[in-house]
Amino acid sequence: MSLILCRQEPVKRPFFFEYLGIRIFSSQELCYVIYNNPLLVMEGFIDESLLEFIREDLDMAFFAAKLEKWQKSDEEEDELLAMILHECDYYSASEVGQFRQKLASLRRLPQSELFKEKADFLFHKKQYGKAAALYLKILNMTKADRGSDAFTAKVYNNLGAAYARLFLMDKALSAYEKSYELSKSEEALKKICHLSQWNASVVPGERFLPLMTEELQKICREERELADEAAGKAQSLNELEQLFQKDPIKRFQGAGELVSKWKKEYRNIMS
Amino acid sequence: MDGLIIGLDLCDAYTRICCHDREKSWSIPTVICKKKDEEAWYIGEEAYAYTLVGEGIIVDKLIKMVRKDGTATLGGTKYEGLDLLKLFLKKILKLPMEEFFCEEIKQLVITMQKVDGKLMDALMYCADALGIERERVHIISHTESFVYYVLSQKKEVWGNQVGVFDLSEDSFHYHELKVQRGLRKMMVIAEHEALEESFNLDILDTPSGGKLADKILCSCVDRLMQKKLFSSVFLTGKGFECHDWAKDSMKMLCSRRKVYMEPELFARGAAFKGMDYLQDNSAYPFICICEGHLHSTVSLRVLHKERESQLIVAAAGDNWYEAKSSVDLIIDKQDYVEFLVTPMDPKQKRLVKIPLEGFPNRPDRTTRLGISFGFLDEKTMAVVLKDKGFGELFPATDAVIRQEVML
Repeated sequence: MSLILCRQEPVKRPFFFEYLGIRIFSSQELCYVIYNNPLLVMEGFIDESLLEFIREDLDMAFFAAKLEKWQKSDEEEDELLAMILHECDYYSASEVGQFRQKLASLRRLPQSELFKEKADFLFHKKQYGKAAALYLKILNMTKADRGSDAFTAKVYNNLGAAYARLFLMDKALSAYEKSYELSKSEEALKKICHLSQWNASVVPGERFLPLMTEELQKICREERELADEAAGKAQSLNELEQLFQKDPIKRFQGAGELVSKWKKEYRNIMS
Repeated sequence: MDGLIIGLDLCDAYTRICCHDREKSWSIPTVICKKKDEEAWYIGEEAYAYTLVGEGIIVDKLIKMVRKDGTATLGGTKYEGLDLLKLFLKKILKLPMEEFFCEEIKQLVITMQKVDGKLMDALMYCADALGIERERVHIISHTESFVYYVLSQKKEVWGNQVGVFDLSEDSFHYHELKVQRGLRKMMVIAEHEALEESFNLDILDTPSGGKLADKILCSCVDRLMQKKLFSSVFLTGKGFECHDWAKDSMKMLCSRRKVYMEPELFARGAAFKGMDYLQDNSAYPFICICEGHLHSTVSLRVLHKERESQLIVAAAGDNWYEAKSSVDLIIDKQDYVEFLVTPMDPKQKRLVKIPLEGFPNRPDRTTRLGISFGFLDEKTMAVVLKDKGFGELFPATDAVIRQEVML
């Protein structure tokens, strides 16, 4: 339990971290992003724009020069990331040590699995466009590099989920169908069924029609009803209702903020 | 040195003004007069003169008027006390500026018997209106002026205790200081007492009244200075301009110590302080504990470079009006802020805990807490705790806690 004394940093031009679609305004935020998103910062994170941010806005010219020098001498990127964490005095030495270990364990993964980890991470961050691009990158690998059929089926399944969240239903259906073909999994079949029920224009291939039993369709309908019910009780919906009960000035102000937030989220999702 | 360093002793009856390193000083009644049917203003004796011949309307007790948000109607126009004070200050500051052919005020230190936040704000407003930068204006108590005046004298003057009697038209005050030599820094402890034995100076005009006043002063000297070792005693104020009435008390005062008459003691002390503001290293390396200064140190336990330390937000001896600061801290696994208040007697130190009620729940170390401190008087600290969020990762909310802490 403590209060950490912050560095005073007169940041005028924040650093834009494209993967998360956010701007970083301080060394503490930079450390937080690095520490909590190792998959996103492992490759090419330390570039000229970051060095400029450290040098000019965080007012750490000496440290930026040191990073630049180490980078030119082909020092491992992991080491440079750990140096940033260490320098900014936001994480303890033991936490920086744990971060190094985490990076090392990720580096040991085959490239296809590393890509999938990264894509799954982006998916959880609602960055569906970026996640889908990475899943496709895995699927474009040779079969030997890609790994087993079970692994490929999982990738197709996740690609389908990403497409569905991007409202690209035809592509989502195609990905789920491929996932089913490789895994014969009930879950994949259920998702195909869900898609077809949710959107009438999405019609599964003929070979899937006999598999859509009456029982499966009933289960999917029930699940959808439950999901609809849960959505109706969502916290965000309550907040929206509360907003519309406020006086016109506060309502318009709140609505403006909410629309800006949605726009930002949507841009991140689609990018 | 370009620019004047002015010490201004502002009282309801008389105002004294002097400049550092300049002998000439002015002492004028704190009154302002507006000429009838004309936008012309006069202060001091001139104001009395115009009023006596019936050409002007006079206003006195300007300080009291400002304190009470009072107004005065002159020639059918209503004036705020604050505006009249501003006009008075403008006029009085012109005296040294014209005398020494200098347009610039480098430092203006105003000293007053009783200093409060409202009056300080009012004086700062006047300074703004007169085009004097706030950084150049300071307001201190008479006690503090006394400290600076005394410590600007030779060491033998303040080797032991030092007292000052201030006898003016409307009050009788006693200030006393003692220098404590510590291992690290000298400490000056100065106290002040408004004497109940105050009397109207008009009684000094008659022999019997003078005798009575002498007796009163004798009893005060006896009560206040008995059993203490004094190096020197100062006498100031209009009542001591002529001290023929104080024969017996002078005998008492002058035994075993030196007695000095210094009519502009407070204004001179203020000018010494003004000079000190301009120095990179203070010529007065001591902690001053007196009226207008904090008697306790307030600190926060913080983590810096993985080490715990006490971040001092205000130190004992700081001028409370100028002791304003703000700091940003990141909260790590705690839902409160705890201040350590350390008075002069460290045994009485205590913790003041402020829970962060209404602050959002976030992961560890993702709430930047903006803490601003200020003082309402020397015993009351005002704290504002604000949720500053954590950039775009965790946007700030409008959660704010305002609390007053008694020191």
